[in-house]
Amino acid sequence: MKAMVQRLHLTHPGHFVGGLILWSIWFIAIYGGLSVACAVMPPDPGQGAFTHINITLLVGSLITALLLAGLAWGCFQEARQHKGRKHFNAFVSAWLYVFSTLAVAFVAAPMVGLPPCL
Amino acid sequence: MSTIDREATGPEDLQKLHDDLSEVWGNPKGLKALTIVNHTTLGLRFMVTGMAFFLIGGILAMLIRTQIATPDQNFMTPEIYSQVTTMHGTVMMFLFAIPILEGLAIYMIPKMIGARDLVCPRLTALGYWCYLFGGIILSFSMVLEMAPDSGWFMYTPLSSSEYSPGLGSDFWLLGITFVEISALSAGVELVVSILRTRTQGMALHKMPLFAWYILAMALMIVVGFPPLILGSILLELERAVGMPFFDIAGGGDPVLWQHLFWLFGHPEVYIIFLPAAGIVATIIPVFAGRPIVGYGWVVFAITVMGFISFGLWVHHMFTVGIPQLAQAFFSAASMLVAIPTGIQIFAWLATLWLGKPKMKLPMLWIIGFLVIFVCGGLTGVMLALVPFNWQVHDTHFVVAHMHYVLVGGMLFPLMAGIYYWLPLFSGRMPSETIGKWGFWLVFIGFNVTFLIMHWTGLLGMPRRVYTYDTGFGWDIFNLISSIGGFVMSAGFAMVLIDIALHFRYGKPAKTNPWNADTLEWANQLPPSPYNFVSLPPIETRHPLWEHPELPREMQEGRHGLATASHGRRELWGTDPLTGKVREIIHVPSNSWWPLFAAMALAVVCISLLLRWYPVAGVGVVIAIGFLLRWSWENGAHPKAAPDAKVMPGDPPLHSRTMDGPGLWAMTTAMIANGSFFLSYLFGWFYLWTVSPEWRMPDASPLSLVALVVAGIALLGGSALMESSVRRLRKQLDKGLAMRLYGAALLGGLQFVLILWVMWNANLAVTETSHDAILMVGLYYALLHSALGAVISLLQGMRVGYRYVGAHAPFEPVVVAYFWRYNVVVFWILIAALAVLPRVIGG
Repeated sequence: MKAMVQRLHLTHPGHFVGGLILWSIWFIAIYGGLSVACAVMPPDPGQGAFTHINITLLVGSLITALLLAGLAWGCFQEARQHKGRKHFNAFVSAWLYVFSTLAVAFVAAPMVGLPPCL
Repeated sequence: MSTIDREATGPEDLQKLHDDLSEVWGNPKGLKALTIVNHTTLGLRFMVTGMAFFLIGGILAMLIRTQIATPDQNFMTPEIYSQVTTMHGTVMMFLFAIPILEGLAIYMIPKMIGARDLVCPRLTALGYWCYLFGGIILSFSMVLEMAPDSGWFMYTPLSSSEYSPGLGSDFWLLGITFVEISALSAGVELVVSILRTRTQGMALHKMPLFAWYILAMALMIVVGFPPLILGSILLELERAVGMPFFDIAGGGDPVLWQHLFWLFGHPEVYIIFLPAAGIVATIIPVFAGRPIVGYGWVVFAITVMGFISFGLWVHHMFTVGIPQLAQAFFSAASMLVAIPTGIQIFAWLATLWLGKPKMKLPMLWIIGFLVIFVCGGLTGVMLALVPFNWQVHDTHFVVAHMHYVLVGGMLFPLMAGIYYWLPLFSGRMPSETIGKWGFWLVFIGFNVTFLIMHWTGLLGMPRRVYTYDTGFGWDIFNLISSIGGFVMSAGFAMVLIDIALHFRYGKPAKTNPWNADTLEWANQLPPSPYNFVSLPPIETRHPLWEHPELPREMQEGRHGLATASHGRRELWGTDPLTGKVREIIHVPSNSWWPLFAAMALAVVCISLLLRWYPVAGVGVVIAIGFLLRWSWENGAHPKAAPDAKVMPGDPPLHSRTMDGPGLWAMTTAMIANGSFFLSYLFGWFYLWTVSPEWRMPDASPLSLVALVVAGIALLGGSALMESSVRRLRKQLDKGLAMRLYGAALLGGLQFVLILWVMWNANLAVTETSHDAILMVGLYYALLHSALGAVISLLQGMRVGYRYVGAHAPFEPVVVAYFWRYNVVVFWILIAALAVLPRVIGG
């Protein structure tokens, strides 16, 4: 348990992969969710982009991006408080969380303009 | 720690120390050389074999260029041309690029991180033999004129038995799966070696960048290869038995193959690129004479690449009819990968800008890499744009882009690395003059071939057509490309001549000839089988720049583990984060078992190819027997480490702790296993939701009650394993054997129950993909239950021999981990295969 708690600390290098694992889960969820939703209940193509599918995916994306941004902020705070190995770990993790946040926003952007199932 | 002040002792003692180490680590000669497990020898074997396959792949490329140099050629028949193009791609990707880079990593990593060997040396040997035998089997298909001819990505239905009725596709599927055992073996042990055997003090942030790159590559192999292994198994089952996974009429879907292939295939590009980039990041600072700019940013970029590259696979499938929005996701993700690539390139350029670069031979190849790879990256961004991708799909433009990325991104850095580390391999320096001729011929030849090929592609020439009419306007471009191809070949011939000649005529290299900063140059040139007489503490990323005397101190045995009189092969086992020493890892020595196991697997491979199933069955049993016998010689076995004596002040042997490298190897192997399992689940749900002719029966054929009872037996076995481990932590081993036998019994019960479910389900595996994929899932669970039962049984027997107990508690920890994995996976399987269909139906 103690080891598990240590791994959650923002200076642990496990956070090198934390943001990108969240990004990967989100990516699989939106691709898989889109595919299943289009197979099960495709919306009328005339509706354009603002369908229940796109809105659901956008809300999920927003929540993911906020979570990642919060973790990035936390890592930056930790990086300031440490030197050496812990600073390195927190600093690299912080930028990886920033990248993951931007990657969510960038990949999700087409949801605003493209209909889901065409 | 056993830091010995060797200055206080005489030269005779030092000589004795070298003799002791040579006795323990030395390589046998003659036939017994086949038993060698040492990373230096095996790394070289990997690289030499990879080079041999490179020559084969190169000759195939020249045949292709000869055939299409001019229109309406009859140099090759269409059938042979298809075999040659397929084998060119297959040999270059699977038998050259990945193995040679793995070989380099196997050779270099222990030396760079201050270790004496990789953590699982016998696994290295097994990997090499599987690679060699798999490569020979695959290549032999060309001699028989039966080579695969469906393209290196073997798309179904072209590769299925209806359209490829011969043995070609079977050669590919079985041969590649065999070779992939090698890749996975190397992946697992490189991960564990980098994380757990760095020399003392080498914390993560002090690790050489090459080790970061190889760590990412190895993890990507572990996660990326299993989808293709699954795909290959499914396609071979379809071809051999008729299980219709990719046949629409039977409820399958050919696009599933594309998903499984590219789930592997796109990360593979980065699996090839990352170690090559590691070479670049190692060489540039040395020749610029300063540390790399932005070490942390490069680590950031490596990590991003390792992940994002798994989110791009669908960009190879933009023309198969995926919704526009989904295409946009993959298009955006494909563009994102330009960010980490750009960061690395700017870090390398900034290092050159701020340093004083010396333009030696390795740097010439690095400059060639920068030019060609940046061009390939730019056409990659073009291909990420869906409309452009549609226009040039399956044309020579894509072939040209791929070669710019792979030859620029892998072959040029590899050549730089070979020239850079040549003095380490041989103790001699290469010829600058012949080397420069070789470089310029390759560089000019490459660009003449492939720059022109972009235009051929933009003019509409499709790939893999064996000839063309003269009226399309492609004639002159093809002729120029072919001339360029032969110029490039002449360049590689020059390089090979240079390398061959240098072994005899090269000037002897002085110590650390390039004034490098990393530990591999603290070796003797060429290195001894044990690498270092003693293992130093490290406090910096640039040990040889900041402590130029370190190589001499290490050779004089002034640092850790400077003893071998106990007869064990020892490394430091360090904390993965801080590099603090935790235990002494003792690794196994030379053995016939890896060769024998690989030979048995080769018999299995050939028997499956020839449809001699009884022989294949016998081969499997023999291979398992060899592997289990191999595993028997471990821990406290007399051939491993019968006593636990260490030098005063040294930490314990890993087999006497609860956290040795075996546990890390098991964890990493289970990541690969988990990737295989997730790929299987993906296949199940994909066919269920997408396949147009999927037929879900009204009632599930699987007995839920029997599966749940099997799951409870599994939970019981796992609980017994966990309680054994808990008691061992408290130094209690009373009743240990009974607990282990109990777990084996419960594993056996689970096995019987799964067998009963399979028997009673009456699955029509050749009629519907539903039944076929259920059967594969049940076999997966069956194999795992059998393995759990057998290894628990063996553990119980080892307690009887006193190889396991409170004095040597390590092995049950590893076995318990396997049981834990089994529990999680089996219950997910029950939910996916037996519960969900009952809940939501077809």
